[in-house]
Amino acid sequence: MYDFGIKNPTSIDDVKAALGDAEDGQFLAGGQTLIPVLKQRLAMPSDLISLSRVDGLSGITAGGDSISIKAMTRHAEVAANADIKSAIPALAKLAGGIGDPHVRNRGTIGGSVANNDPAADYPAAVLGLGATVITNEREIDADNFFTGMFDTALNEGELITEISFPIPEAVGYIKFPNPATRYALVGVMVAKFGNTVRVAVTGAGPCVFRVPEMEQALTASFSPDSIKDGLVPADDLNNDIHASREYRAHLIGVLARRAVAEANG
Amino acid sequence: MATYVARNGIGENQRRVEDVRFLTGHGKYIDDVNIENQAYAMVLRSPEAHADIKSIDVSEAAALDGVLLIVTGDDWKSTGYDPIPTKSAVRTFIDGSDMKVPPHHALAIDRVRYVGQPVALVVAETQDICRDAMELIEVDYESLPSVTHQSEAIKEGAPQIWDIAPGNVCLDFELGDEEVQKKAFADADHVITLNMVNNRVTATPMEPRGAVADFDPETGKFTLWNSSQNIHANRDTIADVVLKIGKENLHHIAPDVGGGFGGKNGVYPEPILILHAAKELKRAVKWINDRSESFLSDTHGRDQVSKVQIALDNDGTFRGLRTESVGNLGAFCGTVGSFTPTGGSSRTQGGPFKFDGIYYTAIAPFTNTCPLDPYRGAGRPEGSYHIDRIIDYAAAQLGMDPIELRRKNLIPPEALPMKSPMGLDIDCGNFPEVFEETIRISDREGYAKRVEASEAKGMKRGFGVCMYLECTGGGPKEEAKVTFLDNGKVELSVGTASTGMGHETVHAQLLAGHLGLAMEDIVFRQSDTDATEIGGGHGGSRGLEVGGSAVTQTSRQIIEVGKKIAAHRFDVDADKVEFEDGRFHVPGTNHTMTIRDAIDSQNDPDNLPDDLEPGCMNISSVFERGIISIPNGGHACEVEVDPETGTIKVDGYWVVDDFGTIVNEMLASGQVMGGIAQGLGQALMEDIYYDESGQLVTGSLMDYALPRADDMPRMVIAYYEDAPTEKNLLGVKGAGEAGCVGAPPAIVNAVCDALKEYGVHHIDMPLTPEKVWKAIRDAKATG
Ligand SMILES: Cc1cc2nc3c(=O)[nH]c(=O)nc-3n(C[C@H](O)[C@H](O)[C@H](O)COP(=O)(O)OP(=O)(O)OC[C@H]3O[C@@H](n4cnc5c(N)ncnc54)[C@H](O)[C@@H]3O)c2cc1C
Repeated sequence: MYDFGIKNPTSIDDVKAALGDAEDGQFLAGGQTLIPVLKQRLAMPSDLISLSRVDGLSGITAGGDSISIKAMTRHAEVAANADIKSAIPALAKLAGGIGDPHVRNRGTIGGSVANNDPAADYPAAVLGLGATVITNEREIDADNFFTGMFDTALNEGELITEISFPIPEAVGYIKFPNPATRYALVGVMVAKFGNTVRVAVTGAGPCVFRVPEMEQALTASFSPDSIKDGLVPADDLNNDIHASREYRAHLIGVLARRAVAEANG
Repeated sequence: MATYVARNGIGENQRRVEDVRFLTGHGKYIDDVNIENQAYAMVLRSPEAHADIKSIDVSEAAALDGVLLIVTGDDWKSTGYDPIPTKSAVRTFIDGSDMKVPPHHALAIDRVRYVGQPVALVVAETQDICRDAMELIEVDYESLPSVTHQSEAIKEGAPQIWDIAPGNVCLDFELGDEEVQKKAFADADHVITLNMVNNRVTATPMEPRGAVADFDPETGKFTLWNSSQNIHANRDTIADVVLKIGKENLHHIAPDVGGGFGGKNGVYPEPILILHAAKELKRAVKWINDRSESFLSDTHGRDQVSKVQIALDNDGTFRGLRTESVGNLGAFCGTVGSFTPTGGSSRTQGGPFKFDGIYYTAIAPFTNTCPLDPYRGAGRPEGSYHIDRIIDYAAAQLGMDPIELRRKNLIPPEALPMKSPMGLDIDCGNFPEVFEETIRISDREGYAKRVEASEAKGMKRGFGVCMYLECTGGGPKEEAKVTFLDNGKVELSVGTASTGMGHETVHAQLLAGHLGLAMEDIVFRQSDTDATEIGGGHGGSRGLEVGGSAVTQTSRQIIEVGKKIAAHRFDVDADKVEFEDGRFHVPGTNHTMTIRDAIDSQNDPDNLPDDLEPGCMNISSVFERGIISIPNGGHACEVEVDPETGTIKVDGYWVVDDFGTIVNEMLASGQVMGGIAQGLGQALMEDIYYDESGQLVTGSLMDYALPRADDMPRMVIAYYEDAPTEKNLLGVKGAGEAGCVGAPPAIVNAVCDALKEYGVHHIDMPLTPEKVWKAIRDAKATG
């Protein structure tokens, strides 16, 4: 690690002020991505603005047609939350499948979504469920949020405060874990809202993406058989020692069918 | 309280006494060793696979506040230290000429030959300053073409790594009678050939390597605390051969070691570098590898490609076996690295099966990769994989049953003792019984139902077996020293090295059992050149075989002395005294004396006969084994394969091991389970992978896949104990490595069984989901 300062603001206003004071400040949430990055000297912030003591940044609120999760809510809390388990079971399952107990008790939804790791699980839920990312400046649709590898629509210094997930009629999430990291080698979220179906794929490409061909097919008939092989071309997918792009393309189809089966119970 | 009297401590499931310390965070590992005013060292490692070092500029780094010392290859050259030697038991080519041993200096001199090779040592007040300094060192490299795969390295036109080794060949090797093998092939009805890969892996101990060096300018003596498995031999090498300071001037100690698996056996550059630094600075110096450096710089294991051929008759009788291997050595010879693909992989060729002739040849080339050295099993997993894979492959090709094939060809007990075609002395065992017991316990009756259940889920189920034959190894001698302390405690020092496997328990258990002492009174010492005169450390499953035998031998000698003390007190001849349950007594009289009593008497000359000196019960003895032991056993495994994704789940595992006498079943089973975990890792996911430019792609746990608890099946482990060996005092055969010898072929055989309906009969390890999926897809496309 390089040297850095640390600030512990307690309100969102203080966060802004602390960030303004810092030469090159960076938010610290659960630290499950940022701390390893610092340890490897891959980042050199002048100050860390810890979000842990900020009032009102944590918690889960269930409404009639949506569930709102504050940015600092830990993965373990999402996995165990009764409202989420009954209304959006695939979301609880997704959170419960992240990393290990240590990671789930430290890592936060805000940190994960802001980081937008191409292999992270949450982006599939945010995009697959068409959630709204709420920041200290504005509200951003999932479809406009994830802009590229480790890249989002967040402005410099913009803080995610909560994420609001609409409650679907049916939902499934299947993750094929990377054998080394157990992040998603490929993860597919399928969600049905009345006449619309959303399919989001993480792990397979540089950034989470939707699959309109599958969404159309599933809108016509919400059954695993609707998903034909080869709907996602391999060309633009990730290719690494863990999986070729062809294999990832194949897995997208298999996992999507299984996600539909899960959604159908 | 004499806890262990039955069978002299043998057969007791004594719980591990070290676990409380380990599990409650009270272990003392290398990073827990801190010397007042110590400095910190880090190693600048080569980012290039093969390059000339044009220049190294350390001026900016040296000027940094807190930097104490920087050592480069040029500096090293001027010290006059010798290179690190290699000690492979096989040292000559087939034609009798000497193996090629390039100079392995602790720092690269003029040229780097693998990514991760030490280029400079930086010592500073803190680790962070070391890191800052390393960023300021400018090394001008001029890249050279590189080669990482052994098969490429021996091709014509391949980049040459050492001038002294034309064609990159360090050594070649043969064992067995080729004429006999060829005749067996000519006479047989079929010859089946399979090319197979034994993938490159790394030990990944939980605790990375590290060391602390100290130097006393007044006495000229060095102390080295080192996370090492081989304290005595490495002291000799470091002190006498490399630094030439005299081994009496180096006190070498390993604190608790968090796993080694062979990866901490060898002599590494870094401890040598910090000994030098400690002397230069007259200060203690600490160096701890981080995980990424471990991947780059811990010696790797396996990495053999082999062509295996079996000759057999229509009725399934095995006639001949021929294996041609090419084993990667990395850029240097390693401490004993070149033995693994040569001698190490040859001895158990053919397993416990009858053959008319077996012939093994190997080539061991250099490549631009990290050096290889023993990894748990070192050659026997390779040998076992050769025979147990070719049997299943031949069975598939010829429409035979792999279980029946094994049944038909196992060496029967009547044939023992025998010398195998590879020269192994197989003294005892009952291979057919061990094999049948393996099949019996593996719930074959329930199999059809489980297949049905799998099919109903769209899964494929398979069953595979392996019948392995092993041999022990490592240093043949071991010392066990017992000192009765004034406070009533008994210090037991043994020259073996436990890196977690429980010697502190089992050696104490043996001593307590033999002498009728309480476990809790025994204080265990190991891995310290001051504790024992000699020490064979770790390797070749020798802990009980040689170390336990030494404890037994010393115990017996103590009893003999105790008998004399008792005889002196009772005024009888010593041969009238018997010892049982911690008591000396004279049958037919009421004369008894406890061992405690004898111990308490030993320091007063009045209590001793004339031929004994005070302290006479404090005894050290050295046990030396003759011929290595032959553990053997059966592994059976059930897998479920998801044909859509290629995912493999190992769903059941059964083992019957013949380790001879079982001294502590819990410890033995711990060894077997851990070995199976490492074997499963190798079979299914572990893979050290260098890209074309010689960069290590699997350089962290983000890319190097290790098995986790939920990858492991339930394991049923049983022992065949009716054939104890007479090669050592305990009848034990060695348990430490067998698990990872048997597991890879058993698992791969089970997967191929699951996939046979697709016509998939072989996939090279690791059997990643993608490889399995591709194999099915390709078989479907062609079939
Ligand atoms: C061993 C291990 C295994 C893991 N396995 C998985 C897995 O299987 N699947 C998976 O999805 N993830 C996995 N993770 C990542 C984990 O989910 C992290 O929690 C997540 O990547 C980051 O969340 P965090 O709270 O730790 O954020 P931090 O590491 O603290 O921050 C990450 C980044 O987000 C920024 N940030 C944090 N909070 C906010 C905010 N509210 N607004 C704006 N920016 C913010 C930070 O400045 C930083 O740049 C794993 C991590 C580890 C260490």
